[in-house]
Amino acid sequence: MISRFKNALLNAVSSPVLDASNTSSVSGRGGGSSSTSTTTSSSSAVPHSYSSPHLNGNSETSLTNKNARLQQPQHHGSSDYNAAANGFQERVKRYEYGRPHFLQLNSPDEIAVTADHIVRPIIVPRDLTHLPWETGYAETINSGKSKVNEDQARMHAGFVKVEIEDGESEIKEDKLTEVGSHLCQEGPLCDFTSKHSKGKGVMWFPHTNITKDSLIVGALESAFYEMDELIREENLKYDGVNGGCTAVVCLFILGKVFISNAGDSRSILCYRDLEPVPLSNDFTPESERARIRLLAAQNPHLLGMDFTSNEYLRRPVKRDLGSKILYRAAHMTGWAYKTATVEDLKFPVVFGHGKRSRVLATIGVTRGFGDHELYAHSTAIKIKPFLTSQPEVKILDLVEDSLLEDAVVIMGTDGLWDVTSNQTVSRIVFNTLEQFPQVDTARYKYRYVSAAQDLVMHARGKFQDRNWRMSDGSAATIDDISVFVIPLGPYYRDALAQESLTSISLTPLPNSSTLLSENGSCIADSETQPGNEVNANVLATNTTNNNNGLSSSSSFNNNHNTDSVLNGDAADPSVELVSEAIDLEMDEPNH
Amino acid sequence: MSYAYLFKYIIIGDTGVGKSCLLLQFTDKRFQPVHDLTIGVEFGARMITIDGKQIKLQIWDTAGQEAFRSITRSYYRGAAGALLVYDITRRDTFNHLTTWLEDARQHSNSNMVIMLIGNKSDLESRREVKKEEGEVFAREHGLIFMETSAKTAANVEEAFINTAKEIYEKIQEGVFDINNEANGIKIGPQHSPTSPSSPSGGPGSSPGSGCC
Repeated sequence: MISRFKNALLNAVSSPVLDASNTSSVSGRGGGSSSTSTTTSSSSAVPHSYSSPHLNGNSETSLTNKNARLQQPQHHGSSDYNAAANGFQERVKRYEYGRPHFLQLNSPDEIAVTADHIVRPIIVPRDLTHLPWETGYAETINSGKSKVNEDQARMHAGFVKVEIEDGESEIKEDKLTEVGSHLCQEGPLCDFTSKHSKGKGVMWFPHTNITKDSLIVGALESAFYEMDELIREENLKYDGVNGGCTAVVCLFILGKVFISNAGDSRSILCYRDLEPVPLSNDFTPESERARIRLLAAQNPHLLGMDFTSNEYLRRPVKRDLGSKILYRAAHMTGWAYKTATVEDLKFPVVFGHGKRSRVLATIGVTRGFGDHELYAHSTAIKIKPFLTSQPEVKILDLVEDSLLEDAVVIMGTDGLWDVTSNQTVSRIVFNTLEQFPQVDTARYKYRYVSAAQDLVMHARGKFQDRNWRMSDGSAATIDDISVFVIPLGPYYRDALAQESLTSISLTPLPNSSTLLSENGSCIADSETQPGNEVNANVLATNTTNNNNGLSSSSSFNNNHNTDSVLNGDAADPSVELVSEAIDLEMDEPNH
Repeated sequence: MSYAYLFKYIIIGDTGVGKSCLLLQFTDKRFQPVHDLTIGVEFGARMITIDGKQIKLQIWDTAGQEAFRSITRSYYRGAAGALLVYDITRRDTFNHLTTWLEDARQHSNSNMVIMLIGNKSDLESRREVKKEEGEVFAREHGLIFMETSAKTAANVEEAFINTAKEIYEKIQEGVFDINNEANGIKIGPQHSPTSPSSPSGGPGSSPGSGCC
């Protein structure tokens, strides 16, 4: 197991993951292709004690550089309204709308066809070589609630899958690239040398064991945070970056899968003959009632004059004043009686049940990116403090056994899950896979894409009697639907193959320079950590929008000696600082 | 870029009869002898001129395999024209026409114009279905008929254009309700009285081209 860790990772080298890489990502990239360094200056350091002192990730990430930047004033564009400073400038659109790159829908005509609300065509990749492991993907548009499909999906580097949905605005593919790049940089490309794993390389927690897992979890968490910050910043300057979206990300690395979720998209693991295993939890006002109410109770000013953190068995009305009512405060799980006062007539911060539950009577999802300028309806109360970008990260550790070969990870947006149970999803997938036997060589490779298509078909249903209905006659979803079907067997074999690589190289991949120029960051140069001898690092990465190659890797100095602590997250204070991370190391699937 | 009408077509028929090749020949004027299986649905578009009017054809190319049949069925909706294709060198593809036709009639709007196409007319030596048989089938079912070759391009233009002419005539006769997009016909920006020759922002400026 441990040996897998040794070489498994890609390239890189280097150093202190906890520091440099953290922030490098987003801000640098924000300047990216179009406007070089403008973003950098306004980009904020991640204002967390856990984070590294350096703010940006241009390729020269030297310590000096970082420290210098630390002293820059930070502007957080957190003004209530779009920056006054920019108010008189013509705002340009930041991102072009598009569909996932692996669908290769390039002309406006093709994109227009995908938005046919009458037919709701199910779109699948025309060329499967743009996804690893014959991974399946399918999507369809809503039945008319928005002009374009607001789901987005992304596959990055052959290691990362990002799926995002429900952007009310146009936080589009480039953004996803940035998250993906960040992950590649933080995840695969971070190397954790023996020095690290012993804790020597980490100056602020010298005696802590930091595991690779915890570093990857931390990278995912900071990627989500920074993505959210980037949206905040860009929304001040550009059009089309308002609104918000949820995200679920699966990072395939180290023979494991790291599932990072913020919102109500979902990922599950399906076995041929076993019950499906949830890989993420949905974050809705209902599931996060406790967090939301506690936050509200501790910060009453966030509620303005209109809302209360109390919950009532039945919402009191005027004539209840003075009589006993059942309620519970944020610090309670049970119920108690109280005499109703005018205070109790305020609207509960979380109200409603199921799909109808809302925070501040406004949003039905409690984690996600963006929505920095969203207010509770006709009030000056901001939604954002309650809507966090912080993901829950779970780790799926794969074990080679007979179950693994047939196992698939399903990722889907709420359009799928609203009308399809985990069990039904699993059943549909394996029904479809059975129709593509290995002997049928012409069709075999289409099995996962066909499974994805069948899932979307199931959830979209058919148009009958003026409504979209599923095969059993019940209401189908009228929302956008996006689905990945990702086989674990081929991934696991890839991971094993990686492990056996022994090549040592300090040369970045040719395409890493592409990434540099396109994304403006991402590649860390050599770096020295004070007080440690740390290796110079060269991070080779790959993949950009138009590059689908596998990331490669040259790793060296991987002789680290971590013991079998694979779930060190909890022991890692830095991670806790970030987030009270809910790091759930899942049991190995066959146990 | 602007057009008077947009007609939506669907191409249907057994797997391997050359649906994707017909589309490619019509839109790109090229032939690709080996074609990947169509899993879901593919698209093509081309502008043609009928009666001096620019008409945009938006063509949906479907999966012919049985396994995808129920998905294919869901694409009939909102098509103004259908090309029902068989392979003149494979009798079974001709024998299945009745099933395809039933599907099409059941799931499409009743005014949909259906063009029957016997494809691969270049493979005369391997012909299994006589041209007369196709003609008879078409006459019996009220279809227009043509033999084509996606390889040599013979009759490919004609097949798509004649279908469009038929649809256009039906519009002139008032058969189609052109205000209902579910009929597969969209009135283009050319028709809009308010913008006779609008600046038309340049390609890519509005992906949702003329949504209303």
